[in-house]
Amino acid sequence: MAQATRTQTPDAQAHADEARALAAGGLSECARATSAYESRFRIDRPIAPARAARVVALDERAVAVARHVAGRQWAHARFYACEGGDPHDPLLRRLDGVPAPLGQVLSGTDVVVVLATEDSGRAYAEAIGRICRERGITTAGLVLGIDFEAQDAVAALRPYARVLLPSADENDVFELLTALRV
Amino acid sequence: MLRKDINELLTQTGPGTPMGDLFRQYWMPAMLAEELPEDDCPPVRVKLLSERMVAFRDSQGRYGLMDEFCAHRGASLWFGRNEGSGLRCPYHGWKYDVTGQCIEVPSEADNSSFCENVKLTAYPLVKIGDVLWTYMGDPAKKPPLPEFEFAHVPAEQTYTSKRWQQCNWLQAFEGGIDSSHVTFLHSGGLKTDPLFKGAKGNEYNQNDTKPFFEVADTEGGLFVGARRNAEDGKYYWRITPWVMPNFTMVPPRGDHPVHGHFWVPIDDENCWAYSFDYHPVRALTDTERQAMVDGYGVHSKNIPGTYRPAANMDNDYLIDREAQKRGETYSGVAGIAMQDASLQESMGPVVDRTKERLVPADSGIIKARQKLRKAALALRDEGVTPPGVDPEHHKVRSAAIVLPQAESFLDACRDAVTVQPGVRQTTV
Repeated sequence: MAQATRTQTPDAQAHADEARALAAGGLSECARATSAYESRFRIDRPIAPARAARVVALDERAVAVARHVAGRQWAHARFYACEGGDPHDPLLRRLDGVPAPLGQVLSGTDVVVVLATEDSGRAYAEAIGRICRERGITTAGLVLGIDFEAQDAVAALRPYARVLLPSADENDVFELLTALRV
Repeated sequence: MLRKDINELLTQTGPGTPMGDLFRQYWMPAMLAEELPEDDCPPVRVKLLSERMVAFRDSQGRYGLMDEFCAHRGASLWFGRNEGSGLRCPYHGWKYDVTGQCIEVPSEADNSSFCENVKLTAYPLVKIGDVLWTYMGDPAKKPPLPEFEFAHVPAEQTYTSKRWQQCNWLQAFEGGIDSSHVTFLHSGGLKTDPLFKGAKGNEYNQNDTKPFFEVADTEGGLFVGARRNAEDGKYYWRITPWVMPNFTMVPPRGDHPVHGHFWVPIDDENCWAYSFDYHPVRALTDTERQAMVDGYGVHSKNIPGTYRPAANMDNDYLIDREAQKRGETYSGVAGIAMQDASLQESMGPVVDRTKERLVPADSGIIKARQKLRKAALALRDEGVTPPGVDPEHHKVRSAAIVLPQAESFLDACRDAVTVQPGVRQTTV
C-alpha cells in the first residue's frame, strides 16, 4: 500500500515542532510571545506615511542641500527656501520659485525641519521656531557643515527645536526624513 | 524606520558580515575576570560575534580564548582538563596552550612534530579592570588596549557586572542612548533606587517629561544632550556619550557612582550587557557595592552561578501589577536593568525596524545607525579604520549640568565630557 506522506521544508518542520512545544504548555507568556512561531502572527499591514513634513532652508547653501534632498521620493514632504522679509513673518518660496506664505506652509503639517549653514537666517529661525511652537508643530534644526559658522542660528533655534543636530550633513537630512516616514 | 537590508546589515555580526568585520576592529569585553578566578580553574564557554570559544587561565596565570572544539574529533574543550600550562581534551589527550597551539598529541611518536601543525583559532585575552578583553580581528591590525576610565581607576573605585539579554545587540544598545524613556520607564527607580535617588537632577527629570535633544558628532561616536527646564530660565542637560560601536554611559546623578554599558553581541539573537559603576575620585562605599551586587542601579540580580537575570522572560520578568498600581514601578517590572531588558526583549529577537514610527526625539538613534552603517561600509569598501578604535576616543565621560539657555552644551562641557584623572565628574 502506498503510504501518503508529506515532505515538509526544514522551516515548516521547525515551526511545527515549535507549535507542538508551545501547545504542550510550560512556556511563560513572554517566552511564548517572543518565539519565532508567534512572530508569524504579528499584524503585517502597510504603514502609511505619518508625517506631513515641511523642510525650510534658511540660506543659499542650505537651499542647495534642500534641492538635492527634494529630488528623492517623498510622500508628503515639501521643501521651501526662506527668502527673508519681515523677521516676524518670513517670506518662503517653494523650490520652483512660487511664493508660499508661512501660515499656509505650516497649515496641516506636524513637523518642520529647518536647515541652516550660517547665521544669516538667525531671525527667521527664531520666528519659524516660535510660530511652530505656538501651533504645536514639532521642530527639528539641522546645522549643515561646521557649526561655529551658524552658532547664532543654533542659539535662536534652541528654545524651540525638539532636536538640534549641529555639524550635520546632507545624509542626516535624508536619514531623518526617511526615519520619520515623510 | 529602517530599510530591511540596512536592518540586517546592522544586526548581523557573524564572521564575514560587514558589521561582524566592524566589531572585529575593536577590543571587546569577552568575560568578567571573576569567571576565571584562579590558575588552572575550570574552562568557560564563551560565545561572541557568533563564534563559539572556550576560555581558560593556565598554570602560569595566562589567559587563553580559543575555538571551543578539539581539532581531533570535535569534542568540546569545555570538558578539558586545565593542567600543566594547557587545556587537555579528555577524549584522547590532545593538549593546547593559550595561543591555541597544540602542544601534545599522545598517540603520536614521542619525537613527532605533528602537533606543531595543529593550531586552533585563538584570540588574545587581556585583563584590564574587572573585565577580560579580546580582539577578534586581524592580528596585524590589533589596536592599542582600551582606555575606558571605568576599567582604569583603582579596583576599589569600580564594579562591573554582566547579564544575558535575549535580543539582538542593536536594540539593547539603542536603549543606552535613548534618554527620553527615563522619565517614564524608570520614574519609580529615580525615587527609590539606592544608586539613583536623592539627586537634584532627578527633580528636573520628573518635572519635565518632554526633553529637547542635541546630537553632536564626535571623532569616536556621539554626544547626545537631553535638555530639560530648570529654574530661573536655565536648562538641565544630561549628556550621554556613545563610543563606537557599543559603549554607552549614563549621565551621573548627584555623587552617585557613574554608570554605563557595553553591549556585546553573543550571536544575532542574544547579547551581553556589561554594566559598570565607578567613581572617578573615591572608593565605592560598602553600601554602594552591596547595592550593585544586589542588582540595583544598572545591575541585575542574576540566578546564582549564572549571568541570567532572576527576572527573565521565562517568568514574565516577575511582573507585579500591584506594585505598578501603587506607583512603585512604572511598568510593573522591578529594577532599572530589567525594565529596559523586558521591553527590548519583547520586541522579538531582532526587531523589524521597517515597522517603526520614529519621531524627531529619536535623532540620536537615527544618527547612531547612520554612523554604524557608514563605518561598516567604509571598512568593507575602502578598508577605513572606524571611529572608536583609537584609545583616545575612549576617554569620554557622561555629564549632568545646569546651563544658561543660550549656552551650547558642547561648548560649556568640553572638559566635563573628557576624562581627567583625579577630577570629579560633572553632576547635578
